[in-house]
Amino acid sequence: MEERPAVVRATALILGLAAPAALACELSGGPVEKLQSAAYTILYRAAPALRVGEHFALELAVCPAPEELRVDAWMPDHRHGMNYRPSLQALGSGRYRAEGLLFHMPGRWEFLFELRAPGGSERFAHAVRVE
Amino acid sequence: MKRALVLLLAALAPAALAFTEAETRAIAAHGPWPPAFAPDPSNRASGNNDAIELGERLFFERRLSANGEHSCSRCHLPERNWTDGEARALGLERVERNTPSLNNVRLQRWFGWDGAHDSLWAQSIRPLLDARELGMSAAQVAALVRADADLSCRYRRVFGSVPAADEELLVGVGKALAAFQETLVSGRTAFDDFRDALVKGDAAGIAAYPQAAKRGLGIFAGKGSCNACHLGPAFTNGEFHDTGIPFFIEQGRVDPGRHAGIQKLRASPFNLLGLYNDDAKRSTATGTRHVRLEHRNFGEFRTPSLRNLALSAPYMHNGRLATLRDVVNHYSTISPDRLHADGEAILRPLQLSERGTLDLVAFLETLADGGGRYARRPFAEDCR
Repeated sequence: MEERPAVVRATALILGLAAPAALACELSGGPVEKLQSAAYTILYRAAPALRVGEHFALELAVCPAPEELRVDAWMPDHRHGMNYRPSLQALGSGRYRAEGLLFHMPGRWEFLFELRAPGGSERFAHAVRVE
Repeated sequence: MKRALVLLLAALAPAALAFTEAETRAIAAHGPWPPAFAPDPSNRASGNNDAIELGERLFFERRLSANGEHSCSRCHLPERNWTDGEARALGLERVERNTPSLNNVRLQRWFGWDGAHDSLWAQSIRPLLDARELGMSAAQVAALVRADADLSCRYRRVFGSVPAADEELLVGVGKALAAFQETLVSGRTAFDDFRDALVKGDAAGIAAYPQAAKRGLGIFAGKGSCNACHLGPAFTNGEFHDTGIPFFIEQGRVDPGRHAGIQKLRASPFNLLGLYNDDAKRSTATGTRHVRLEHRNFGEFRTPSLRNLALSAPYMHNGRLATLRDVVNHYSTISPDRLHADGEAILRPLQLSERGTLDLVAFLETLADGGGRYARRPFAEDCR
């Protein structure tokens, strides 16, 4: 009986040191896009679904939570960005909501996620196609 | 199903031209037409019959001008597709820009060539107060409504009371004007019949569409990529682009277009972030809250709808191009060096042959409904 709490504590400590992000990195509510590097995992989904010419938001989970997150998008083939600057709300525990995005032309767009932390910054780009 | 449609079209050749699957999807995206009405949450008078009737009276009301001779209908003539046929509009004075049509105006996200307003009601206030257009003040508009028994009665019928504050009363006038303009929707066209036939796989309907228009549509949705900006049922993405039309007005004066429009929008007491938005949740203000001001906005102007384009000459933000053929020639020979878009790479010369030019014009002409749909309602008896 006395051993049991110790094991649980030990397990919790190991998880806390080694991989809290991996376990916590979930975004409930449906299918997500997943981007991964050695240091970070990003999960995101658009809400409502992407449609050209319509505002949408991004729901995001970033693990581990960076000190700062920036979200933007651009059209590489056209060399222009969005006509709107997204606003980002931190919801805690690495969850975020970006509002105000709009893809005003059909074609290939790239989401840009910039993560900043004391150890350096990391940039993710993820291509999507809208029609 | 979509593949089957493409095959069907291919099987009909040469009577019908084949479109790729992507082109077929793109063509289908230009409908259905007309779109269902959806009230504007920022305007509590939107869709209200009394407001529509009040707005119609105000639209043709000449006392809403500083000289008592002009009304909104001076530039927006029903018999001219709600524009005026002039290169640049003439109110109390000549202005720098072409009068846009009011057909389908309720479908827009931004209003005016520079998008300086984010609602139809705010846009409707602008020419009332512009010294070169109707030249009124909020106090003069309010005084007219208060002093006219019929107008004030109708105003009360829509909004419950006539406000004591001039600006608030002016906003009500703008909202009634907007309610009327929301009813202005262009009719179905030869293109719509073709588009619906294409979606249904109706071979007879597909064959009825002129061959030249089909070829022009092929350019529009194919090598021309015109639908990159002129997309959806209204043939516009509602946003802003530099299309290489010079924005010099005269020596030493330029029209900065969207760059100034965003600044005017942010400064306007009538924008959707302000007091007068009837949408308490401000869900209608997402664009206003997030719009981004950049150097590239200089010289950008709103992408116009192409519906009823053939009835809207002359063309572009300053009426510089007289005919549809001139417009097609402009895009056929456009020089990327003339653009000021900070490295954007959207436009390139289409380099159309004579036949290609005529075909594209033929297609654009099928987007017109023939006009003459509006009949001014006889005014009911005076409101008491």
